Amino acid sequence: MAITKVNVGPIHPSTHGVLRLVVHLDGDTIAKVEPHIGFLHRGVEKLVETRMYMQSHPYMEKIDYMAPMSVDDLYVSTVEKAMEIEVSERAQYVRVVLLELQRIASHLFWVGSICNDLGQLFTTFMWGFRDRDMALRLLETATGQRMFYVNMRLGGLARDIPEGFGDETLKFLDYLEKRLREYEKFIEKNPIFIQRMKDIGRISRSEALDLGVTGQVLRASGVSYDVRKNNPYYVYDKLDFNPVVLQQGDNLARYRARVLEIEESIRLIRKALGKMPEGNALGMPVKLVSPPVKNRIVSVSRENPRGEEMMYMVGDPQGPYRLSIRAPTFINLSALDYMARGNRFADLFAIMGTLDLVMADVDR
Amino acid sequence: MKIDRAELTETVESMKKQGFDYLVKITAVDYVNSVEAVYFLRNTEKNEDTTLEVEIDPSDLWIPTIVKLHRSADWYEREMSEMFGIEIKGRKAKRLLLEKWDGKPSPLRKNFIWGEPYES
Repeated sequence: MAITKVNVGPIHPSTHGVLRLVVHLDGDTIAKVEPHIGFLHRGVEKLVETRMYMQSHPYMEKIDYMAPMSVDDLYVSTVEKAMEIEVSERAQYVRVVLLELQRIASHLFWVGSICNDLGQLFTTFMWGFRDRDMALRLLETATGQRMFYVNMRLGGLARDIPEGFGDETLKFLDYLEKRLREYEKFIEKNPIFIQRMKDIGRISRSEALDLGVTGQVLRASGVSYDVRKNNPYYVYDKLDFNPVVLQQGDNLARYRARVLEIEESIRLIRKALGKMPEGNALGMPVKLVSPPVKNRIVSVSRENPRGEEMMYMVGDPQGPYRLSIRAPTFINLSALDYMARGNRFADLFAIMGTLDLVMADVDR
Repeated sequence: MKIDRAELTETVESMKKQGFDYLVKITAVDYVNSVEAVYFLRNTEKNEDTTLEVEIDPSDLWIPTIVKLHRSADWYEREMSEMFGIEIKGRKAKRLLLEKWDGKPSPLRKNFIWGEPYES
């Protein structure tokens, strides 16, 4: 049969940003998908070369606007490693709590939006938004901002968590656990949802490794790699963390991996709050920091909500000589072509939805 | 680990046989007198990471492809070739990925000055 080319986007409700797909169709079956990216390319890597270290700090958060704190933390950790700055113990615990709250917020948004992509319009979307907003409100009480926090400082944080924050968070976690059961009943018992998720977009373990996918996409295919476990940072090794690894490798496994990760985050926050030591969590003033030596090379990895984000930095006393960012969604999107082939056109959005794309992160 | 450009494909292939089955990232750094391509490989079984650094002379800017060994190299190589003007030999040239601009100098090279107007 002749191949039909269908253009999707760049403005399309299911693309979560500006992404254009050229889909080659054989009847209703996908023969090939060409993602056209770059609409949000801002040249972040070039821009940071022209600034001093702490000038690019707020800008980093805009790389992944669904989980700004994670990227902020990654950048600050990279600079800390280059300057050989130790993070105080309390600051490490506070960072873990805030980062896991950020992960919950990001995953809740995703759970809502995947249902929207599958045609379960706005009910779960609003539920996800409501619960995400509670997580954001907690982050707001801790940092003073709702979305772009700029709360990380070298060696600690800009503000310590306020009094009563722990109790508020525990209350929210109890509430969220109940809500997750409701989500389960509402979503996973829905035959239409299962039909479009089960056995769709399946990739095996070896394919996942070859495609280089990361995060939940990799772990849903049976590869146990989570930076928090395999290359632990902060206090994750003291919190008895277990990565979520599933075997099926289809859309449903990727959905379950994210929901189970919310539960794992809930457990992590409870433990971290219980073990939180007294002390100083504040970062040091920039004036007291000695800059890194010329051509000092560091690379730091962090498990962000969307997968492993890595920064490779060549240091210089003035500012970064070169900062290279490994974006998790960039490599996940490059696997879309392979994952979608042979599926129906309608399922393309289900597959793309489970990749959890943020186009600002793809394009940088 | 610093290696020569000619032995890149062989090294990646032999490392893949040793269990380095996951390509984390390919990137490059412009040191003005030389351009260095950096390959991050990972052994997922043994949880080991390694980097391969390949120095390239800026007047003869090319590197062999490893896309046949790691499919994930595809977009990384295209990004690197666009940002640094490094020609990737041994693979089909494809449309531009990120910048939609292949004028000279390439955006992430040090002779590209931020803020100056360039024509494509």
